[in-house]
Amino acid sequence: MSGELLWWLNLLVAVGMYTLLAVSLNLINGYAAMFHLGHHGFWALGAYAAAWLTIHWQGSMPGPLLYAVSLLFAMLVAAVGGLAIGVPCLRLRGDYLAIATLGFGEIVRIAIQNSPPDALGGSLGLFIPRVLMKVTRDTKDDFRLLTLAIVAFLCVVVILAFRNFIRSAPGRRLLAVAQDETAAGLLGINPTNSKVLAFVMGSAVAGLAGGVYAHYEGKITPLDFNFMEMVKMFLVIVLGGMGSLSGCVIGAFLVIGTERMLTRAPGFISDWWQVEFPLVLALMIVFRPQGLLGRREVIDLFRRRRAPA
Amino acid sequence: MTAIFRTTGLTKVYGGLTAVSNVDLELARSDLVGLIGPNGAGKTTCFNLITGADAPTSGRIVFRDEDVTGVRDFQMARRGVARTFQNIRLWRQMNVLDNVRTVCRVEERYGFAASVLRLPRFGRGERAITGKATHLLQRLGLGDVLGENATDLPYGDQRKLEIARALALDPELLLLDEPAAGMNPTEKTQLMDTIRQLRDEFGLTILLIDHDMKFVMGICERIYVLDHGERIAHGTPDEIRRDPKVIEAYLGGDS
Repeated sequence: MSGELLWWLNLLVAVGMYTLLAVSLNLINGYAAMFHLGHHGFWALGAYAAAWLTIHWQGSMPGPLLYAVSLLFAMLVAAVGGLAIGVPCLRLRGDYLAIATLGFGEIVRIAIQNSPPDALGGSLGLFIPRVLMKVTRDTKDDFRLLTLAIVAFLCVVVILAFRNFIRSAPGRRLLAVAQDETAAGLLGINPTNSKVLAFVMGSAVAGLAGGVYAHYEGKITPLDFNFMEMVKMFLVIVLGGMGSLSGCVIGAFLVIGTERMLTRAPGFISDWWQVEFPLVLALMIVFRPQGLLGRREVIDLFRRRRAPA
Repeated sequence: MTAIFRTTGLTKVYGGLTAVSNVDLELARSDLVGLIGPNGAGKTTCFNLITGADAPTSGRIVFRDEDVTGVRDFQMARRGVARTFQNIRLWRQMNVLDNVRTVCRVEERYGFAASVLRLPRFGRGERAITGKATHLLQRLGLGDVLGENATDLPYGDQRKLEIARALALDPELLLLDEPAAGMNPTEKTQLMDTIRQLRDEFGLTILLIDHDMKFVMGICERIYVLDHGERIAHGTPDEIRRDPKVIEAYLGGDS
């Protein structure tokens, strides 16, 4: 496969992964209106859970089955993490919640970094055996294509599941809590239940993205899950629109695409990409603060004046 | 007369300020009672204590022969105590129908799995919820604006929407915090009729706060008067109108 095609394939897989991360972050930050800045921690939990399980269970079952099981395990571990962090933290609001969750995200990374090398690899990271299919020089591209198909499928499933959730009684209760918690409580809604549910759903999907990431990269280190990643996820939802699921796909394309275009551009453009990247985003925020889609979905754009802007 | 709702010695102290002091209230089934008093008398604090939004410092609250002192807000709501708000608190990013649907409790309940997987239970539950919400909104004359954004409605309609939303809880006790505020005299007269009809239709017991004396005297069968957190009078509208303590509280006496 040509280098150009390979570049695009890698980009699309990354876009898919960031879509999963952003959709799940959007459920917490956009729909549930909780200022959560520790999503990279759940991502790391999922990646390490999948890696650990794959390493230890390798050979005990067919490869593709182990791949699927490790993804489920990644979701489970991240969801338990979400529950453990969510229950005490959700008494906090606004900036305080942001600080607490940010602390959690960093703790996960630093804890793994300082773990004994024979457990989670410490700062050297972990190598994940290829279990999805045999990867040789000749089948490398097939592996990438297969991963892309899996990521795309997961994105569709997760977006549909979240959409269904939001347009249902438990979803409406979550929106009510986000918009006016006092009124929600006095009208029979338990705010804590709604928030914890959103938090656990979001962290589980971040864990799923982590599992996919671990298997795709074949090697993970704690530095993969630094705070800059959290910033990127946040940019994706700000760009796409807080409270828009399909906006996350567009946002992920823009953020990851812009970043990678700039880094491989010739000469001074790539030298200065870390300046240009935030500049593009800053302009975006100035001229379209609600994000590209606001609270709408892509499908609303094709309907005639139905959705309120 | 058997009381459906009673408070004894209800007291709330914030720091050095006693907002509500030793207040006894008693409501029988299908009572329509007013709670009045000058600004800062502790009326809304009383509502907050009754609905569990705030815990009383001392005193007891009994609802349907059960001690519900300290029960949390959402649990009080589920037990059948609903309220509207003095400063309207509709969910701003929801349309009229969804404001009511969010609160609707129906027998056809469904959970998380049914929502995400769109199981048949979801369809049945949603139909029941939508049917009930639509019925309530039509009953309050909002049947034509179901799809409108809640906060785009005229002020009076927003107040009606709050009542519809409270009724979605199937309450037995309905607390109305200044339901007539911001309405013109014609609307107020209509609202009086509506409230009376709703009480009979839904078997409600109603406690309401309002500053408009004509409205309160016109609709309530009994009235409690608060001043500086204390209950200073209780009686029929005629008795309250003539009560020297009430006149003093409102007009200010030279003591």
